[in-house]
Order: sequence, then structure tokens, then C-alpha cells
Amino acid sequence: MFLSVGVRFEANVEALNMVETAGNYSKHRRVPYLVEEDGKLKTVYVPALSGENLAHAYQEHLAREALSLNLPVCDDCRRGEFYKSMNRVHLEKKVSPIPGEPAKIEEAIVKACVVEDVGGFLYAENPPVRRSSAFQVSYALPVKSMALFATSEPQLHARHAQMDSSSKKGNASEQMIYYVEIGTALYGFTFNLDLDAIGVSAITSEPILDENEIKARRDAAVKALFRMLSSAQFGAKLSRFFPVGGIKEVAVAVTEHPFVVTSPIYDDYILKTERRLKVLKDFGEDYLFTAATEDRVPEEALKETVEYLKQKGAL
Amino acid sequence: MPEYEGIVKMLRFFVQTKNLGYVDRIGNALNPGPVEVTLHEALRAFRSIRENATVGEDGRRYVEKDGEKIPVPGIPSEDEVRAFLDAVRSDIGVAKRVATLALAYPSRKEGGDE
Repeated sequence: MFLSVGVRFEANVEALNMVETAGNYSKHRRVPYLVEEDGKLKTVYVPALSGENLAHAYQEHLAREALSLNLPVCDDCRRGEFYKSMNRVHLEKKVSPIPGEPAKIEEAIVKACVVEDVGGFLYAENPPVRRSSAFQVSYALPVKSMALFATSEPQLHARHAQMDSSSKKGNASEQMIYYVEIGTALYGFTFNLDLDAIGVSAITSEPILDENEIKARRDAAVKALFRMLSSAQFGAKLSRFFPVGGIKEVAVAVTEHPFVVTSPIYDDYILKTERRLKVLKDFGEDYLFTAATEDRVPEEALKETVEYLKQKGAL
Repeated sequence: MPEYEGIVKMLRFFVQTKNLGYVDRIGNALNPGPVEVTLHEALRAFRSIRENATVGEDGRRYVEKDGEKIPVPGIPSEDEVRAFLDAVRSDIGVAKRVATLALAYPSRKEGGDE
């Protein structure tokens, strides 16, 4: 089963993805974007969230959900440090001695950590072992029709520190100004999850785990996504720049084989996805398509998805 | 291209501090729009860095990165920036040449504050 989710969320005054600090100026991520204006195409720079940013949040939720289901998560991933068995030092924490064959190495890692099973890894030693992530996530970009209204703007803040008498500047209160660039936009992103890849070897295509554990891991993977969306716990600087807004729309497609919903950056993405899925049905492929727009909350659509997956025996 | 020396020096400073984003975006731009946006961002960041830089005994500004003192050059002048943007609007190749020079090893020792 393949799960594909299109998400639209409104975020006002957010600092979810900062890219660098230059002096006292911390910058929001920005990307070039092609928009049409008066029949002409032009490039504009818009605030954005990287796929890495969203993937990190998802994997943190995945670690938590897996632990709550008593599934294994390695120590690094528990801490939200996704080294992913990148070398001997990190792999030896899971398996020692390290096996010599790539398939055995993959098996050991997958058995030891749900996050590396779902999120993939690259063991860059000899022999190198690569496992592609079972989930994919796009950048979050402003929706096309409103991209020109998206903004990123620096906000001035001041930090105060009481200087002691030994300081060269005396004991006056020291004030330091700094700027945090905030973004405001209606963003859209796509999240895909290949449930068939969980617990299955990327090298031999054979299951590594028994069916019950695979189902439990799929359950954790789906719950982690729903928790991430429902709680809006993704991105940085939430402690002081928690975005004002929230999830506006969600469109979910569950198919037998890979199928990706039309990107939510387009206004007609729900309609287009439905039309594309209807063609798929002509090929004899069963699917679920559900969306949450104005009259429905996202959680309702997500719950319907879980029920469908259970009915299909995927969870 | 001595007429854009200030911009080249500023971009070279970013290269020395291992921030290749600005020079890459200017060098890879396909039209003048991204050059203008990137130059604005680079100048904004550079101004912040320069204002927070340490002033040495010789009066020159520098920043420390990985234990190395990197001199902070002066801010490109308004005339130079205007001339550069005008040149880029008529020939995008100017942006690539400026970015290429910024990536090259400087032909003479550069000071900090100017």
C-alpha cells in the first residue's frame, strides 16, 4: 500500500526554517519560484521549509510513536540525532561484531531501529550499505495563486544583559539588538509513505521481520505522520515563533502501488487528484481518496485513512 | 573587472568563510532577477557581519573562523552596486565573471577595513 498526502497549512509570522546567521541577522530559507503575472512568467523568491526540516520532525514523531508501541529505536534516534548507522562507530552500538555481508548489515540495522527501517540509512564503510527512505517529503512552498503575497520580513528583538562592574563597559545594562526573519504564507507540501517497504529488505526484497511487527511498524509510521500534522510540531523556533494559523486542507490517497497526489501548491489539486485516481480505477486498482477542506477537519480524513488501512489488512 | 572590485571582495569574503551560497546564486543566475535578490541578501548579511566584526589593533576588521582570522573588506559603494546591476541587466555574463573572480585566489594580499 502507498500513502500520499497533500497538506496545506497557513503559517503567519513563522521562523520554521532558518538557514544562517550573519552577524545579528538570522535568515529564513528562501527559494526561487516561478509565477505567472499578467501572462508573463517571472521568478520570485519566497519563504520555504526544506524537506529535510519536515523529515526531521517526522522522524522525531516516529521515534516517539515507535517507543510507545514498544518497538525498537536506537539510542541516537531516540535523542533525535539521526546519524543512521553512518559508520562503524554508530553501527557498533547496535550490532557487534559487524557482519561482513550488506544484507546482514541491513537486517541488523532494521531489526534494531524503526526510524532507520522507515527513514532509510547510508552505512558509508566497507561494504557500503544503502537503504532508501520509505517516506518522501517535498519542500513546503507557498501555494501558486498566493505566492506573490508571501513575505519574509526581519523582526527586531532586543536582548538585555546586566553587565558586571569588571566589564569594560561598566555596570550599565547592555542591550543587543538582533533580527529574526519571519515568513508568512499559505504553504503546501506532499508527504508519501510506501508501507510495503517497511520491514522488508531493500537488497533481497524479502521480509526481515515477522508480519505482526511489520504491521506494528506501519502503524507507528502512520501515527507519526498524523501526530506531526495534528500537533503542528514541525520546524524550528516553535518556542517563540509558533506559527499563527494551522492546517487548512489535507488530501489523502491510499493506493495499491505508488501514486502521488497532485501537489497542493495548485488550487485544483483535490479535483485533479480525484480525476487521476478515477483513471487508475479503470486499470482495476482499488484506492481510497479522502480530503478535508472547509467543512471537515484534517483529523477526520486521517482517521478515515487509518480505518481503510486496517480494513485492507495493512495495519 | 576592477570596476566591481568591492563586490568581488565581498563575495570572496563569503567564500573564505565557507558560505558559497551567494557566489553560487550570482554565478548560476540565468536572468538578472536572482542576481539582484542575491546581492541584496549578501549586502544585508555582510553589513551585519561587518558591524559585529572584531576590530584589530591596526584598525582593520576581521572575523575568526576555525581559528583563522579572516579580514572583512569594505562595503561596496552605491555607485559600484548600481553599475554592476545595470551591467547585469544588459549582459548576465557579467554576474558569472564576478562570481568566478570571487572564487579565484586573490592576485595580491588584501587588507581588512578599507
